Amino acid sequence: MTTCRRAARSLAECLRINHHSKTYSIPIRAFASSACSNEVAQAATETVTPTFDPNTVTSIKGERTLMKTGVLPVGSRRRRAAVKTSDNIPFELLPYQCFQEARKVLMEDRQEKLELIKKERLRISNLLAADYSNKPNGEQLKHARLAGMRQHLEYLKIQADINDPLIKKRFEDGESDMTKPIYRYLADRKWRAHQHKLIVQRIDQLGIVPDLLPQFEPTAEVRMAFGKRVVHPGEFIDSRVSEMMPRLNVQVFDKGERLITVIVFDSDVPDLNNDGFTSRIHYMASNIPMSPTDTSLPFSHASKEDQLVHSWIPPFAQKGSPYHRYSVWVLQQESGKLNVEELRQLKREGGNLRWIQPKFKLDPIGVHVFRSIWDEGTAGVMERAGVDGADVEFKRKKIEALKPKQKARGWEARHAGPKYASLRKGRDAHLKRVVKKHTRGRKGGH
Amino acid sequence: MPQLTPLYRLLTPLLQTLRSPPTLRSFSTTSSLSAGPPKKKVNVDPRITLIRYHLQHPKTPRPLKLSRLRGLRHWTIHRAWMLMRRKREEKESAELYRMYQSMSKANELLRTMDPPGMKDAGRLYRIAQEKKGIFGHGGVPIEYARWQTDTPGREPWNHGWTR
Repeated sequence: MTTCRRAARSLAECLRINHHSKTYSIPIRAFASSACSNEVAQAATETVTPTFDPNTVTSIKGERTLMKTGVLPVGSRRRRAAVKTSDNIPFELLPYQCFQEARKVLMEDRQEKLELIKKERLRISNLLAADYSNKPNGEQLKHARLAGMRQHLEYLKIQADINDPLIKKRFEDGESDMTKPIYRYLADRKWRAHQHKLIVQRIDQLGIVPDLLPQFEPTAEVRMAFGKRVVHPGEFIDSRVSEMMPRLNVQVFDKGERLITVIVFDSDVPDLNNDGFTSRIHYMASNIPMSPTDTSLPFSHASKEDQLVHSWIPPFAQKGSPYHRYSVWVLQQESGKLNVEELRQLKREGGNLRWIQPKFKLDPIGVHVFRSIWDEGTAGVMERAGVDGADVEFKRKKIEALKPKQKARGWEARHAGPKYASLRKGRDAHLKRVVKKHTRGRKGGH
Repeated sequence: MPQLTPLYRLLTPLLQTLRSPPTLRSFSTTSSLSAGPPKKKVNVDPRITLIRYHLQHPKTPRPLKLSRLRGLRHWTIHRAWMLMRRKREEKESAELYRMYQSMSKANELLRTMDPPGMKDAGRLYRIAQEKKGIFGHGGVPIEYARWQTDTPGREPWNHGWTR
């Protein structure tokens, strides 16, 4: 009996490997049937070119074969075995009574919402067809009503899908389709839960808002990386890392294609003539198409004819100057395509977003910030970029007090002599030196 | 082996603190010196000790953890439940609102039925506004059936009372 079972098991394993694409439903008990033996015969001929499914492969050999082809098996071997022996019922059809009842309730609600959407669409089309010209402020009234109705329509679209467990699952798995409003809504909510708060805090802490723009509220998620080095907002970046051009990832949460402009500002350039700081444009590119699905924005891919305005200068902070804030601005172009030749007239030095933004009708939607300070690599970076001034070191000018220096008084003066040196032993070393100098000065004066 | 009743479990840490520290009788009479510098006693809040004791007790059930799909099913059921409850509440409040509106409409109709200056103008309206008998025939609100006090009485209701 036992040998028989063992043989059956090996046969069953053989079957599993070969007929993995079917849902596995042949139990081990079925070894006695004649149909099975036919299949075994087939299997024996097919073992020459076995194919493995990464979802259900359990044998070490199968895993190795898969990995050689570059496909990694999914999950653990235990999970794969479970998947293989279960009947692979899709999630929404799992036979749990309460779950199915709940799904019924949710589907009903969804149907109601779809009806409402249909009705709202009809209302909008009726309003569009209606004549408002004879009413006072007719056009304005129509626009206001339309805006309200469209907003309500968007709300209904989200409400129709917000309770769907499969949509939630797909969003959590990162398989969201950003052309659909529900996924954009979920992504926006997730961004606002943490990343939005973080960037708002950094904008506030680093003084980006009063220094570069009077007010700003980010509405798009901006992520940045130099090669593989991911930059978190406000981070200090080594000058050798930031020598190469970064890659932006801009996720907008409202639908539609739009053109954007990207500007990188250094807002802490020391200005010796005015004894203050100015700003400098390190990179600028315009007319970059952007949509919720198309998010990647490598700086190096800007075309020289109609996109690149100012090429990349690597961030450099000269020795002795306080840390430089580099802010990467993503601005939406309100007036369509911009003329690059006209933009090239902008000077790098002293470029200021406060007047660039209204002049070219740019609407700031996102920002990213990083910082830089003089380090070992800065001199080399400046040399390679052809920027001179690597040998300059900034120092604070010391201003001598107008008041004469006060002599030591009280206990210190009385115990300043060598007689009390033991009292000062090991502590107040700097004070001792000061006191000595004073005594010497006095001697010289007399 | 003591029985692990809940009361005993509750009292165990307290008992442990009340009990005298274990006295190990040493052979020598001189005071024994432990190696190294004397260790600092960390004063832990007894409340924290108690919380830890109960949370880490083997009889305390582990925190509920659901697998991915089970969590998702749970979420689905929860959303459906909340949706159903909200719909029911909205329906109820809409019904109440409708009833209130219809009453006020009827009152308004009665009020403006007769032209002013007539002898019986607004008579029906005045009768409709009377609150007579709403607490039963010749009754008073149940709040006034008992002397108003700050705290409830020792005996909440005397069921055996007859007139």
